[in-house]
Amino acid sequence: MTPENIKIILAGAAIAILISILAPFLASSNPDGLDKNLITLVGGGSEEKAEEIIGEKDQVGYEPPFPDYSIEGMDKAGEVLSILIGTFILLVLGLGVSSILKKKKESRQA
Amino acid sequence: MHIGDGQIPLEQAVIYWIVALFFIWLSLRWARKEMDEAKVPIFAALAAGIFAIQAMNIPIPWGTSGHMLGSVLAAIILGSPFAGILILALVLIVQGFLFGDGGISVMGANILDMGVIASFTGYYTFRMIKGSLGMGKASFIGGWVGIFIGAEAVAIQLAIAGTFPLIPAMTWMGIYHAVIGVIGEGLITSIVVTSVMKTRPDLVASSSKVEVPA
Repeated sequence: MTPENIKIILAGAAIAILISILAPFLASSNPDGLDKNLITLVGGGSEEKAEEIIGEKDQVGYEPPFPDYSIEGMDKAGEVLSILIGTFILLVLGLGVSSILKKKKESRQA
Repeated sequence: MHIGDGQIPLEQAVIYWIVALFFIWLSLRWARKEMDEAKVPIFAALAAGIFAIQAMNIPIPWGTSGHMLGSVLAAIILGSPFAGILILALVLIVQGFLFGDGGISVMGANILDMGVIASFTGYYTFRMIKGSLGMGKASFIGGWVGIFIGAEAVAIQLAIAGTFPLIPAMTWMGIYHAVIGVIGEGLITSIVVTSVMKTRPDLVASSSKVEVPA
């Protein structure tokens, strides 16, 4: 990896980390467009009812380790930390996947 | 606009997974051909940045909020809709398994809507108009088109699923995401593309791309 490439990764990581730290404080807690539709069109205006109806149809029942970007008993700090964990994982995944897939010039010339 | 488990019946969700896997396979083939040393750090930075920005919900009227997708941005910077698909697939896998943001059975549908459909519609809109409007405006409109069409695809899938009635779903998903498309997707896509063009135009694949007649 060239110094130039390391600079790009560090700049990208810095921006992503900044957003991760700010997001729990700046992000709107209103339901997103799809959840809002679930509340009005499925729950008849009630979020609880919508969740109950959809919950009954959920055959997967998957329990994520950090539900809704939170860590149990940690409040805002947990939100920041869980988003930072995700950002870090994607940085590593992004580097890993693209490094594995990138064409190898040496082997092509051989 | 992440679909959750239980919102689409399993047998339909499986079909979306199969279609999504086909496009992921095409994206991996693109990466094998086009990924080089220079694109690796940009790909990683985009993956991390897009995950972070998706946690930032922007408030809009009607007591609602929304976040940008980032797939069109990735496609423009890396010069292919397959880049947007591959990055969104990685983001959605982490979001679904770690944070419960988007379901597991419906992950294929989410990859299809926010990755495949948004990337293709947004990127090719951008390609069609960038010659006449320039990179900045074309990125804005491309981003807007991507999230708007992606949101309408969600509405149609949930109507097929029997979860939503079609017309109200398309109307409201359309209205919400038309707004998020302007203040979120369009604006941020345009700002990022324009600022990277100013500082490091060599990093934007779409800027130097030789136009191949279709």
